[in-house]
Amino acid sequence: MGKVLLEVRELTTRYITRFGESVYAVDHVSLKVEEGKSLGIAGESGCGKSTLALSLMGYYFAPLHYMSGEIIVDGHNISGMNPDDVRKAILGKEIAYIPQAAMNALNPTQKIIHFVEDVIRAHDPSADKKAIYERACKLFETVGLPPQVLEKYPVELSGGMKQRTVIAVSVLLSPKVLIADEPSSALDVTSQKMVIKMIRQLLHDGLVGSLIFITHELPLLYNVTDDIMVMYAGQIVEKGAAREAVFDPLHPYSKGLMGSIIVPEEGLREVKLTAIPGVPPNLKNPPSGCRFAERCKYVQPECIVNAVGLRSTEGGRVYRCIFSEKELREAYRNG
Amino acid sequence: MLKGYRKYFFNKLGWFLVTLVFAFILNFILPRLMPGDPVAAIVARMAQGMSDATGVRAIYQQYTELFGTNKPMVEQFFIYMRNVLRGDFGYSISMYPRTVADAIKSSIGWTIALQFPAIITGWLIGNTLGALAAYLKKGFDKVLMPISIFASNFPAFGMAVILMVIFGVTLEWFPTSGGYGFDLIPRFDWRFIWSVITHYQLPFWSIVLVSIGGQAIGMRSMAIYELNADYVKYARFMGIKDRKIIGYVFRNAMLPQITGLAMALGTMAGGALVAEIVFSYPGIGYTLLNGVMGQDYPLISASTLMITIMVLIANFTIEILYGFIDPRIKAVQAD
Amino acid sequence: MKHTLQQVFRSGKFIFGFSILVAILLIVIIYPLVIPDPPLAIIAQGTFFEPGIYVNVYDSIIAPKYTLNLEGAAAKRIASRLNSDDRLAMKEWLVAVGIPEDEIDIEDTALLLELWETHFDPKTQIAGMTNARRNYYIRLNASLEGLLATEAAIIAVKNPTTGALEEKSVVAQSDFVNANKVANVRLLPLGTDNFGRDVLTELIAAARVSLQIGFVAGIIATSIGLTLGLLAGYIGGIVDDIIMFFTNLFTVIPGLVLLILISFSIGQERRGATTIAIVIGLTSWYWTTRAVRAQVISLRNRDHVNLSKLSGHSIVHIILNDILPYIASYVVMAMILQISSAILAEAGLSILGLGPRTTEVPTLGLMMNWAMIYYAHTLGKWWAYIPVLVTIALITFSMNLMNTGLDQVFNPALRD
Repeated sequence: MGKVLLEVRELTTRYITRFGESVYAVDHVSLKVEEGKSLGIAGESGCGKSTLALSLMGYYFAPLHYMSGEIIVDGHNISGMNPDDVRKAILGKEIAYIPQAAMNALNPTQKIIHFVEDVIRAHDPSADKKAIYERACKLFETVGLPPQVLEKYPVELSGGMKQRTVIAVSVLLSPKVLIADEPSSALDVTSQKMVIKMIRQLLHDGLVGSLIFITHELPLLYNVTDDIMVMYAGQIVEKGAAREAVFDPLHPYSKGLMGSIIVPEEGLREVKLTAIPGVPPNLKNPPSGCRFAERCKYVQPECIVNAVGLRSTEGGRVYRCIFSEKELREAYRNG
Repeated sequence: MLKGYRKYFFNKLGWFLVTLVFAFILNFILPRLMPGDPVAAIVARMAQGMSDATGVRAIYQQYTELFGTNKPMVEQFFIYMRNVLRGDFGYSISMYPRTVADAIKSSIGWTIALQFPAIITGWLIGNTLGALAAYLKKGFDKVLMPISIFASNFPAFGMAVILMVIFGVTLEWFPTSGGYGFDLIPRFDWRFIWSVITHYQLPFWSIVLVSIGGQAIGMRSMAIYELNADYVKYARFMGIKDRKIIGYVFRNAMLPQITGLAMALGTMAGGALVAEIVFSYPGIGYTLLNGVMGQDYPLISASTLMITIMVLIANFTIEILYGFIDPRIKAVQAD
Repeated sequence: MKHTLQQVFRSGKFIFGFSILVAILLIVIIYPLVIPDPPLAIIAQGTFFEPGIYVNVYDSIIAPKYTLNLEGAAAKRIASRLNSDDRLAMKEWLVAVGIPEDEIDIEDTALLLELWETHFDPKTQIAGMTNARRNYYIRLNASLEGLLATEAAIIAVKNPTTGALEEKSVVAQSDFVNANKVANVRLLPLGTDNFGRDVLTELIAAARVSLQIGFVAGIIATSIGLTLGLLAGYIGGIVDDIIMFFTNLFTVIPGLVLLILISFSIGQERRGATTIAIVIGLTSWYWTTRAVRAQVISLRNRDHVNLSKLSGHSIVHIILNDILPYIASYVVMAMILQISSAILAEAGLSILGLGPRTTEVPTLGLMMNWAMIYYAHTLGKWWAYIPVLVTIALITFSMNLMNTGLDQVFNPALRD
């Protein structure tokens, strides 16, 4: 077992709206990422996966608030730390983040090299200009960008170049954990593949310690990460090795997610297209029972009344359902 | 890059020249397109109480000859142009036999010295306040915004009158009319300079106060928009300090405010003219008022032309400077 | 639609602005119904009468009298006759004749008068005093004579046959009339202006006319701006180029300059309120064009518009059904701004003496112009211009507040 770079225990965070209502967007989530490993987080939009990414970084901005749980980065507990200290000590250096909208992630009126300098100096004020330039050149080369890009303004770059620039800037300080939040969602299929390849390469080369990849396309993760975690309405509903989660989902929701997308991937052709009917529950006032109950094909009366906990299989998989592994497989076979 | 800027420059220069020509033509043609004969109106006024019909006709004849209104439009245009190019703008009616150029020559200097510093000061103060309102929010914003909305809608002459009543008439801190003491002869000594400075205060601050509100509101909206931009979030997640990010934001919010200033100059100049009128400041606005009072058509025409030219030049200068400041201009033009 | 309205009416700023505007509109409509006086009727002989209740003196004499013994009535009476300049002058004299300065309190009227009566002698020669100054003191003394007297005043009328004065009635110092019993009492809450017209009645009529000018100009500017903006944004190409050329042209040429040129050329005689409104409307459409065009361009390639195009709908149909509803909120906001800036533009023009002709209707700008020409501001006649400024500010402020409210409803990023 490798060194654990990020461990999260029972993390709960909430949004507080203008009217003082609480929305529990991340509800008792636990996860662990080891050195050299990658974790995929999947779920529909609004399931809390992006909020989880923000929460993991320990940097809380109104209206997002920390409630309970622990975040341990490379052995240091950062939960409850002052946000300014988190920003100085952790962000960009220990945990780096590739945002959803990479197209607009760069300040339009600043040359790339100046932003690179700002990022490095934020953590090492005495950094030498020449050393920064060399470091940047090397990383830009890794993502396939010529050094001239450093002297350009973002407006002078194409979409794909901006995307690579953001990736290169994110890993400038060799973060222990890289969180990529749907970095490919705005791109065409070819660019998507390239971005994913690039990120995997960074992990492979040891430029980042570990990877968390967030997407709403569960099937996509099969090629990208070692483990997969499926989220629904702020909670984990299934966690396991990527292959199993994609080809042999246990939770009815994961099963539905697999069916809701057509992906021309090898071995996935036969999967039937069955969108999940209904919408996720309102998290201002979540149901007391299983949160998926309303949309579940296999719903039982007790699902609606009692909260459903996580259970583990012998093979180390985790899922949230009242049915056993065997019962579920039985149900799926019968349609 | 340089090529991009040159292209931008010539584009703007061409636009400036075209606008100038159109403004010149409008200035000539608008009054002549109107139903009615300006000379007849003038003569009717001058001949009030005159019972001698031949006398009235003689005056009419004389003025028609003087202003060439009996000639065809095209010829009139060339006469007008010749007068303008020769720099005397023809004869003034109310101050005949003085030429119009003679009458407005000195007022241009007063207007430039008053309006440009005042508008720029108002712009700077307004933008600073707007930026602070966007950044500090809470109390400052709650107080500043209604005041700004109120101030920006307060009529320019109202502001001038109120300042005059408070600081000129009641407190007697500053003189209420003229550009310098009426008992002084313009020359370079301390008494005269001091007199000019004290006379300058009220018109100056009334223009400043009127411009602040609108600029503050505009800057606040821009800054709020920029504060929510993706690059701000990304910079935060890369661990960059707030102070630095605020620098990015305000630079970016400021840029549209510069073009905003260029566009609003026309309106602002109108307000500033009114301030001159209220304080009988010896600038072009006051000359214009005298022209209206004296039904002095050539004087009005020349004053409005001078105002337009000044605004156009200022507008052109701002656009040219803007091209230097905003890297996006060069980049976009270079494509 | 209903939902949008609900949202709009939940915005505090909008409601506040809306209430002010509605209040102004109601006053403007109801006041003339209650007090149908012509707004430009000259009622006062003289300029700038102060605000107050004007009681007819002749009618008060014949009105029934009531005796009220009020404490301090005499002191008040004397105080009202002695202004602060006179008091200072009296002190100056007293000091000059050798009374210690700290013994004189100019606020204590009774004491001051007592000192004055004992020490004033017109024959006293004071070093350095001019003749004019001495005459002033003699006049002052004469007016103070009898100020402390308690006798009644006698009203006498001339006998038409003998020409002798005959006592008609006696007015004691404690006599009062009930203002309700006096036949002619006129309330002038804001006094009169330089021509002797009731400022309040005039102001309300002026507010009405200014609002009308604002609405007419706003509607004209918005119609032109909307039409050109839709054409430029939707059709694009050469149409867009031409429209934008003129829009940019009008943006940089100061609007006031155009207004001045046109208004002057029309001539005083033909400048009615409507003409001014039309001229303002014709010179201020370009802001709306710009805003509408930007909105239309962002809408032009939306799915629902493309769908409508594919279905073979005409341009008119697409604009009316697929574009207008989406930009309606912007158009309303632009129109509110146009109205308020038209009211300001009229005022600016009138200040220059280029407003509507002065004989028919008052406008807020004209009232301001009159007040300025007659130096109301330097003479301290605040009632002639402050109410006008407040009215203009309230109208434009309320409209812009409504706009800010709308902006926050439709652009959520601007919400606090």
